[in-house]
Amino acid sequence: MVGEQCHALRLRLDGAVTDAELTARLAAAGPWRLWVEQVASGSDEPEALRRRDAELKRPTRAVRCVLLRHRDGVADLVVVADRSLLDRDGLDRLAGALVTGADPGLVGQGPAAVRRVAAPPAGPAPEWGGGARGATGWDTSCLDLPAVADPSALLAALALTLHRYEGHGAGGEVTVATDRRGALAHAVPADATLAELRAAVPAPADRPVTVGLIEPATGESGAVAGTEYLPCLAPPFPLTLTVLPGAAGGNRLWAAYRRSHLAPGTVDGFLRHLAHVLVRFGESPAMPADDVELLDAAERERVAALGRPGAAPAGTPERLTDVFARVAAARPDAPAVGNGHTALTYGELDRLADRLARGLVARGVAPGDRVGICLERTTELVAAVLGVLKAGAAYVPTDPAYPADRLAHTARDAGLELVITRHGEYPAEAGVPVTPDELLDGAGPLDALPGPQGPDDPAYVIYTSGSTGRPKGVVVPHRNVVALVDATRDEYGLGPADVWTFFHSGAFDFSVWEIWGCLLTGGRLVVVPYLVSREPGEFRDLLERERVTVLSQTPSSFSQLLETDHASLAVRLVVFGGEPLDARMLLRWFDLHPEAACRTVNMFGITETTVHVTAQTLTRELALAGSKSVGPALHGWHLYVTDTRGRLVPPGVTGEIRVGGAGVALGYLGRPDLTAARFTADPYAGGRQYRSGDLGRLRPDGALEHLGRIDSQVKIRGFRIELDEIRSVLLEDPDVRAAAVVVRRDDPSDPATARLDAYVVPADRDTAAVRKRAAAVLPAYMLPATVTALDSLPLTANGKLDAARLPEPARGASAPVAHPAGGGETAAVLQEVWSTVLGTPVGLDDDFFELGGNSLLAVRISAALRGRGLSPVPLRDLFRTPTIRELAEAGDA
Amino acid sequence: MRLTGRTVLITGAARGLGRATALACAAEGADLALLDLCGDLDGVPYPLGTRGQLEHTASLCRKNGAAVLTAACDVRDLASVEAAVALAEERFGGIDAAVNNAGIAAPSGRPVHEIGEDEWALMIDVDLSGAWRVIRTVAGAMSARRSGSIVNVSSTAGLVGYRHFAGYVAAKHGLIGLTKAAALDYAPTKVRVNAVCPGSVRDDPTAEGRMLAEIARALEVQVGEHEQTFTEAQPMNALIEPEDVAAAVVYLVSDDARQVTGSVLTVDGGFTAR
Repeated sequence: MVGEQCHALRLRLDGAVTDAELTARLAAAGPWRLWVEQVASGSDEPEALRRRDAELKRPTRAVRCVLLRHRDGVADLVVVADRSLLDRDGLDRLAGALVTGADPGLVGQGPAAVRRVAAPPAGPAPEWGGGARGATGWDTSCLDLPAVADPSALLAALALTLHRYEGHGAGGEVTVATDRRGALAHAVPADATLAELRAAVPAPADRPVTVGLIEPATGESGAVAGTEYLPCLAPPFPLTLTVLPGAAGGNRLWAAYRRSHLAPGTVDGFLRHLAHVLVRFGESPAMPADDVELLDAAERERVAALGRPGAAPAGTPERLTDVFARVAAARPDAPAVGNGHTALTYGELDRLADRLARGLVARGVAPGDRVGICLERTTELVAAVLGVLKAGAAYVPTDPAYPADRLAHTARDAGLELVITRHGEYPAEAGVPVTPDELLDGAGPLDALPGPQGPDDPAYVIYTSGSTGRPKGVVVPHRNVVALVDATRDEYGLGPADVWTFFHSGAFDFSVWEIWGCLLTGGRLVVVPYLVSREPGEFRDLLERERVTVLSQTPSSFSQLLETDHASLAVRLVVFGGEPLDARMLLRWFDLHPEAACRTVNMFGITETTVHVTAQTLTRELALAGSKSVGPALHGWHLYVTDTRGRLVPPGVTGEIRVGGAGVALGYLGRPDLTAARFTADPYAGGRQYRSGDLGRLRPDGALEHLGRIDSQVKIRGFRIELDEIRSVLLEDPDVRAAAVVVRRDDPSDPATARLDAYVVPADRDTAAVRKRAAAVLPAYMLPATVTALDSLPLTANGKLDAARLPEPARGASAPVAHPAGGGETAAVLQEVWSTVLGTPVGLDDDFFELGGNSLLAVRISAALRGRGLSPVPLRDLFRTPTIRELAEAGDA
Repeated sequence: MRLTGRTVLITGAARGLGRATALACAAEGADLALLDLCGDLDGVPYPLGTRGQLEHTASLCRKNGAAVLTAACDVRDLASVEAAVALAEERFGGIDAAVNNAGIAAPSGRPVHEIGEDEWALMIDVDLSGAWRVIRTVAGAMSARRSGSIVNVSSTAGLVGYRHFAGYVAAKHGLIGLTKAAALDYAPTKVRVNAVCPGSVRDDPTAEGRMLAEIARALEVQVGEHEQTFTEAQPMNALIEPEDVAAAVVYLVSDDARQVTGSVLTVDGGFTAR
């Protein structure tokens, strides 16, 4: 007797039908009793509505008829029935018979009328659902279907819609369900037409279900006018859908959903998109399924607008040098940049940069040229950057710590003729080195500086390492950096009272933010020498001594700072960038620096879109929740999340992050093909957009959740798995200092042998304990098959994981194959079969899952056992008794 | 409205604590299956609740917006309990909570060696076994739904002894034992079982309760004198009102108590605190 299996209708009785008449009519239809309730209120009062609603939601084993007689003489009849006993038509006929006294015909043809299928287990809340964690209860929603929508294609349309919702990289199959057929695996081949998709026969599946249908009535409905119908009393699936007759002969999509799984706005959107797809099924059966749009033009505009929360502050685009000149002229004696020993005022910095620029011009540098800068982090570096820009050129920063090979590559690729450096062993083939002193000595006359230049000219070229290939130069114009500072100045109150650190390498674009965020707002820039930046204690001393107020950090560096005694810092703003932030680490910071005293902001950014894209102010609440939000786009920046074909996906759905607006770079230096592939037209706001290769979700509130790189996502046995997520869970173990997760196949040609191998540091970790801990958090399909402890993870030259150099995993030590005494005959056969299927010698006490076992391999084992005349082992038994000894004992018992 | 959409079954609902509990549940939005013996028992020296009193409780609850089912039910008879529960399940689709409130205070007033075999058996049968029969009948379906709350109305006599009330004290102590054991049985399926232990409750005229009077009679003292004694014995220096007990029951039935099971909640003005 569960509400999921029942449906209900209500109709208003006019005329003076007596209780006795109704009782007689009901008795003629079936062995059911009429319950009469006197309701102490008028039929339209809230109390009566509540009573009706309560009766409509009470489940029954068979059929229940309740007559609610109201104080005003009006009566409502509520009929509730088990759907398998009485379908929609039967329910309508029964209601009609009660109203008119007509013969209801055969209603309730016995319990076998419809085969009852147990509802499959409910899947977890979908990533795109936006449900309220911990919420209870459910809600409904509905949508009128256009006349051209074809309800008979509902299951196929649902499969296609769900396939899109499951997002970027979804496989060719989704799990749906119906109340009569249970869980179904519905193929959605990329090249199928809608007609083919509709004709496909989905296969029964043994999987949890998130979205399912109550199969709509197919017969001629004899619905009595004015009835209210409830297809289920509680949603059998977390999102339950059906089609009901609507007004004026039309149809209505109806949804019931669990609040814990879905937000009302998400459900409304899903219904809209499903309706849109249904229309296509009716109108264009020959259309390839992949060509169907979920969003219509108006909704595309709405979703696009969601990613553009604010326009850039009004004003004409400017060059960095022009804005700097204004700041310097306004407060020439204010301190601009220093590192303890040397300090320059804005006026001094301006004059020094002018002289360097004149030196560059004297050496033949002309507007549009590129000049290399390979200097340690010093006051001089800041002046050199400004000098190059004043000479009308773009600066190409490299780090003196780079290997000669990389310096040479950059110089060659950027076509550098001149490089400002003090590097004693600067590679000869990497351009002509010149020291700042030589530039100052050779400075030409004041009027040698070039005349006015445009804001669209390149300001810098910064080289980024892609996941493949050599580093490529990203060309960023002046106006982008000015726009970045304009987008943040007011929000974060950046001004002359601020003291910033210059912490990051000039070759890392986080330093672009540090230098120009400070100098364009009149602050004082404190240069952090390399050795100090690597020594958290000294860095803390510097922050305290210089009374730094604006601190920009990667989460990795900041976590080291947190290890120091950071109580007496004057920092009022911390900006995180450069890598994903696990907000939980901030709790220790908030303990000493509450949000009201110091604002912490996580900025997601990409070099190709000028340092930052979004900003999320963090709070203790968000940190406790482990929020993944990186916030909404900066004013002037545009966020789009698209599918593999570049179409916008609904809010909440995972896709590729694309960024348009004020920060989009000019392109990759000397790489027109790559530029054309990654920088495309922005169809929504004009201009261009950049394809990031990062996965994300744009939430309905406009905030972005950043989900890692597309290429770190893998699929195993139909499950999309985010390796970073598994890694993050492993790192939650307080004793695990570093972790890596890779996918391997025992047999490269056999996807069923794919498994996750995890590696943790340090080497003395108890790997079984690590795995056990992870098993408490991760779903089974995300649990690494092996965990291997290492002294350290192998890294590439760029400091990234070198997966190719990870050793083979340490598997659970296997007992000798010869079965020990007591194993028995069954155990021997099991051992032979397991060893063959798992491809490794299996001992009696080896855990099936520890050895890389999974549901597909379990199926193979069952098949092999059947072939030997033994009974197969169901997967659930394997979960309970994952070793041969336990299985054999259970089987022999 | 903490009990909207829930169905609460209450035994001994014709009057007294049963009536107060029914009204409190109705006020929180519950629908009600109200059961009572609706008749007297041989061996109990005072009149028990009547059909008219039960229907009066029901009509008060309906005024509060509850859908109400009434049924005569003898908790000494398993078949009678099963029939009443089946009727309630048919009407309401399931029972979310059961309150084992039916109980008798007499025959009492004599030392142990003077209690007759039948008197002892009757007291245990109604006050202890009656609750067991209801739990036996409702707990299976509750477990299957992985949701349910059972409240046993015990007494301070379930925690301490009272002179010349051995049968009552034994039954009420037993009811607390049943509460704890059943709580453990059903904890894995999320069905909660708790007990409330009222102290001396005032015989409220509108609730038509007569427990205090009958205890006084069993002890052969004047009601006024007995009230005085117990008012002074309860440190808060007042008798308990039926609504005070009903509020404790509503709490235990509601999701506010979703992690409370096997507990014994005293509503005794501090009587057992010393």
